[in-house]
Order: sequence, then structure tokens, then C-alpha cells
Amino acid sequence: MFEQLLILGAVASAVYALLSLGFTLSFGIARIVNMAHGSFFMLGAYLYYAYGPRGFGKLDVFSSLILAAITVAITGAIFYRSAIHSVMGDDIALIVVTIGGALVFQQAMTIIFGVGHVTINPLWEGAIHIFNVAVTYSKIFALIISLSLFACVSIFVSKTKMGKAMRALSQDRQAAMLMGINTETLAMLTVAIAGAIAAVAGILITASTSQMADPFIWLYPLTISFAVVILGGLGSIKGTLVGALTLGFTETAVVLYFPEGGFLKTGVALAVMVAVLLVRPKGLFGKRIELEE
Amino acid sequence: MRTKTVTTYLSKAYRRFALHILDIPSRLLALLLIVLFLTIPGILPSSKIMSYLLSVLITASVMAIFASSWDLLVGRCGQISLGHAIFYGLGAYTTALLFKHYGLPPWVGIPISVLIAAAISLPIGFPALRVKGPYLALVSLAFPLIATSIVFATKGITGGENGLPISVAGRFFQLTNIHNLRIAEYYLTFFLLLVSAIIIHKIANSDTGVVFVSILDDEMASKACGINVTRYKLMAFAISAVFASLAGGVNVHLLLSASHSDFSLTLSFFAVIMTVLGGMGTIYGAIVGAYIIYFLDMYFLRMVVEIPDVWHILIFIVPVIILVIKWPRGVARFVTDKLEDLSEERPLEERGKWIWKKYRRKKKSANED
Repeated sequence: MFEQLLILGAVASAVYALLSLGFTLSFGIARIVNMAHGSFFMLGAYLYYAYGPRGFGKLDVFSSLILAAITVAITGAIFYRSAIHSVMGDDIALIVVTIGGALVFQQAMTIIFGVGHVTINPLWEGAIHIFNVAVTYSKIFALIISLSLFACVSIFVSKTKMGKAMRALSQDRQAAMLMGINTETLAMLTVAIAGAIAAVAGILITASTSQMADPFIWLYPLTISFAVVILGGLGSIKGTLVGALTLGFTETAVVLYFPEGGFLKTGVALAVMVAVLLVRPKGLFGKRIELEE
Repeated sequence: MRTKTVTTYLSKAYRRFALHILDIPSRLLALLLIVLFLTIPGILPSSKIMSYLLSVLITASVMAIFASSWDLLVGRCGQISLGHAIFYGLGAYTTALLFKHYGLPPWVGIPISVLIAAAISLPIGFPALRVKGPYLALVSLAFPLIATSIVFATKGITGGENGLPISVAGRFFQLTNIHNLRIAEYYLTFFLLLVSAIIIHKIANSDTGVVFVSILDDEMASKACGINVTRYKLMAFAISAVFASLAGGVNVHLLLSASHSDFSLTLSFFAVIMTVLGGMGTIYGAIVGAYIIYFLDMYFLRMVVEIPDVWHILIFIVPVIILVIKWPRGVARFVTDKLEDLSEERPLEERGKWIWKKYRRKKKSANED
């Protein structure tokens, strides 16, 4: 039981970390509460299906993964330009516009692919036994890709010039603008990168778990990513990792040890998030959540 | 003598009526709309499609109560809640459970569940004291999800994914003719909507409502003015929960079941969309938005133009997005603004006078000049 918790929890935490990484970028850094972030997850899974062997593209698994991520990044950039950009600064309008966008994506996928689910190809067939726990290769692959992408993005944000600009943007939008940073383009790029990461997470998660995608799978990843980001603390990549670990292990433990755990897992995870938030409003590693203006 | 007091009383009443309603074009329009909605069942012939239209209007009234409660909390007090369905679902499930296990009639069960929801709203409003703005929006999303997972996990009590059906005895009216039943339910929900809208509007424009707006505008400044922000925020949550759970409870006795979709995020999002479509911060806007969306979705697009259901959300979401970007004040405000512009600018002291008196006075003042 404990080995199961350890291994499945690690896999779940890794993909949750990847899933919420995009949300950290757009919410923590560009200050965009993107409710359509879950849609990028869903779009990623659908495009992977559409490009892949069973869909229209008939490409192999990896090129369809990369192409799907790129397409979603472009979609994210267009979505930023056409909708988010004009309502920046107004919280409620931003939330309404992005919820609207999410519903538009959901309906568009329903119209194109039908209401039912589509089958997602596993990245890798087969399974391996570690400590008598069957782990599919897809899960191991998801774990590896998640961790390496996570490492890449955190190095990108902390070391490169553009990452520096992003952190400047997160600290003070106006000062960043005065220092010659093109904040609009940067915010657009942040949304696009976040979209691509969410798409990859969507492909990895759907391919390694249920192998199904339907137009409504955007809500669950959205809740997971906001819970992780709020739990870990806003704009902190280390916090995201810790938040993902907390949530991933909590969920896995609930599923393994509780009766009806499959239903309760989201509830318990979110309750943990609310409880932590009541004790530490800034999240575990948050530095500057703006309680006041 | 007696007749004289009656006439003075009547004239005073008329003057109040004229001052508060007839002289303000938007309120006159609202009055005309209310009269229209009151006469709709009389105008419509009794047929299957008309019964359906009535049920659409019934749903729209219930949703209008829900959306206006959201508007009070968010549009007036600024506590962005994206999980407002938690109150709706709480109202629905407690009402259904009370009916099922104790056989309480709706007239007793709904008030009790409303009180319970108001009590539960206090712990739910508690995070609002710690976080604000978009963070609060995201945290509030968690509550209905927690509730949904509890519903799924406690199948024995709540029925899980099958929902919690109640028997036909749970209807508000025991009428056999379906059309008459719909008419009765229509009047009931419309009356409830009117009463709740008036109460919410009164609260929003009372001293408490002014405090709410001050919290929306600047929380620090309100604190500095000696306002107990904690108390008023929790009060906003409780008031809002009362009306949202009322809507949920009424809906159970209309549909004869409570289901996990009463907690769904889609429901919360629809409250947002309806309110924003009508105009945030105006309580009437939420009602207008609810009627527009439900009429469009469930009647016009489905029955009149017969567009497949998958297109409906696209058809009304895209205009809402454009509206929010280009003209965030909403449809209802647009109409009232235009009406106020059209009406002649009348000085305050002239308002509410008998019309003939006004002309006489005008004549008199013209003669004096």
C-alpha cells in the first residue's frame, strides 16, 4: 500500500506540477486570472488526437504532441490579443471574458468532435513493475517529461533575460514598462507558453490515465492548477512544486485509504487548500499576495 | 368628513406613486414589464408549447433570483465569488432532504433550508476575510467542488450521481391539469422573484448597501472610517446565501429532484454571465440577463429557430464577451440610460405633482412673468 502511495503519488504530483506551472506563469507573473487555462489542457488533448494516428493528421505520437503544443500556444496568443488584452486590469471583466472563452472552446470542440469522448493514444504501450506496483510506461514517461519541462521552465524564468523580464513584470508592471520591457508582448508570450505547457500536461495526463478526452475536461485541471498555485504561493515556482506534491500525495492517499476515495479526492485536496489558506493567506511560499491595493 | 380623509389619503398615495414610478421612465418601463409578465398566462392560449414557454419563464424567474443574489454580493460588495452554486445546491439538498425524511411541505422546508444555508454561508464567507479579488474568486471555486465530492461520496443519503428525487406530493400545487399547474407555479415564482428583487434592491440602496459599495470601492478607506468590514462582508455573504438558497429550494419543488448539477460550476458561471449581460451592480440587470438568456436558450433557439443545442452557448457567449469588452455596463443599464436621456429634464420639485397642477402652476408662473 505504502509503495503504491509513493509511486502513484509521485507520478500524480509531477503531472500536477506541470499542469499548474502554466497557471503560475499566467497568474503569478502576468497577473492574468485565465479561467480558460483548463481549455488549453483540453485543446491539447484534442489536437493530439486530431494530429495523431487515429485523427485526421495520421502523424506519429511525438510529432503530434509537439505540433499540438505549438498550435495551442498560437491559440493562446490569439486569445490574449483578441480578448484578454482589452480587459486587463478589471478583475471581474477578465474572469467573465476568460470563462466565456473557455465555454467557446468547449462548444467548438463539441461541434467539431461530437459530445462523446475521443480515445487518446498512449504515449508508450506496456507497463513495468516497481516494488510490485504496476506502472505503465506512459506514466513513467509523463513523470520524466514533467520533471524535465519543469526544470527547463524554472531555469528559463530564473536565468534568462526574458525570464528576468517576466519576473520584473510580476513585481511591478509600470516600472517594468519604464525599464523598456515590452509588457504587452511579454504578457502575450507568457500566456502562449502557459498554453503550450498546459497542452503538454493535458496530453500526458489523458494519455497516461483514462486515455479519453471529452469537451468538459477543462474544469478539473483548472481547479487543480489554481489549488496548487494558491497553495504553493503566488508566482513562486518552488511553491508550485510543493503545492503539487501536497495535492498529489493527498489525493493519492485519499484514493488508497478511504472508502469512496475516488469521489472524495478532489474534495479533500481542495479542503486542504482552503485550510492552508486560512492559516497562511499568502500560500506556503507566497511572498507578495496583495491583500491590500 | 370621512370621504375627505380618504381622498386626501388617495391623492397622497398617488403622489408617492407618481413621484417614485411614473416620473422615472425606467421605473415606468419596469412597471409595464411587470404588468405584461403578470398578464402573460392570460394572453397565451393553453397548448403544449405554451406550457413549455411557461416552464421556461419559471426557470428564468428562479435563475433571476439566483443571479440577483450574486449581483448583491459581487456587483455591490465586490466579493468575487465564482462558487455561488454552493448556496443554491445547499438550499436544494436541504429542502429535498427535509421533504423526503420529515415530509415538511415546501412552505416550511424552504425557509428552514434558507436559514441553514445562511448559517453555513458564514464559514464559507470566512476566506473572504483573508484573501480578496481574483484570489477570492479562485478560492470560492473550491466550495461547490468540495460539496460535489461529498455528494458523490455519501450515496446513501444524497443519492450520488442519481440525484435526490422527491415524490409528486412535493409540488407546490396539487393540480392535475399541467397547464394550470404551470400557470400557478409561474405566478408563484414570479411573485417570489418580485419580492426578492425588491428586498435585494432595498438592501442595496439602504445604509448597509452604501457600506457594501464602500467596501467594493476601497476596503482600506472603509476600515479607516471605522466600518467593521468583517461584519459587513459576512453580512453580504449571508444575505446573498439566503436568496441563492431560496432559488435552489424552490427549484427542487418545481423539478421534484435535487441533483449534483445544483452545485456545478456551470451554474455559478451562468450567474456571472447573466449578471454581466444585464449589467453588474444593478440588481435589475441580473433579472433582465436571466430572462434574456433563458428565453433565448430554452425557447427561442430551441423551439422557434430550432438550432441544435450545441450551438446555443456559442450564440449567446460570443455577444456577451464582445459586450464585456466593448460596453461593460450591460444591456439593462443601456436601456435605462437611454430612457433617462430621452425624458425631459424636470426639476426635482416638479416631480410627483398632479399633472394638471403642474400645468396650472406653469400657467400661473407664466402669467406672473
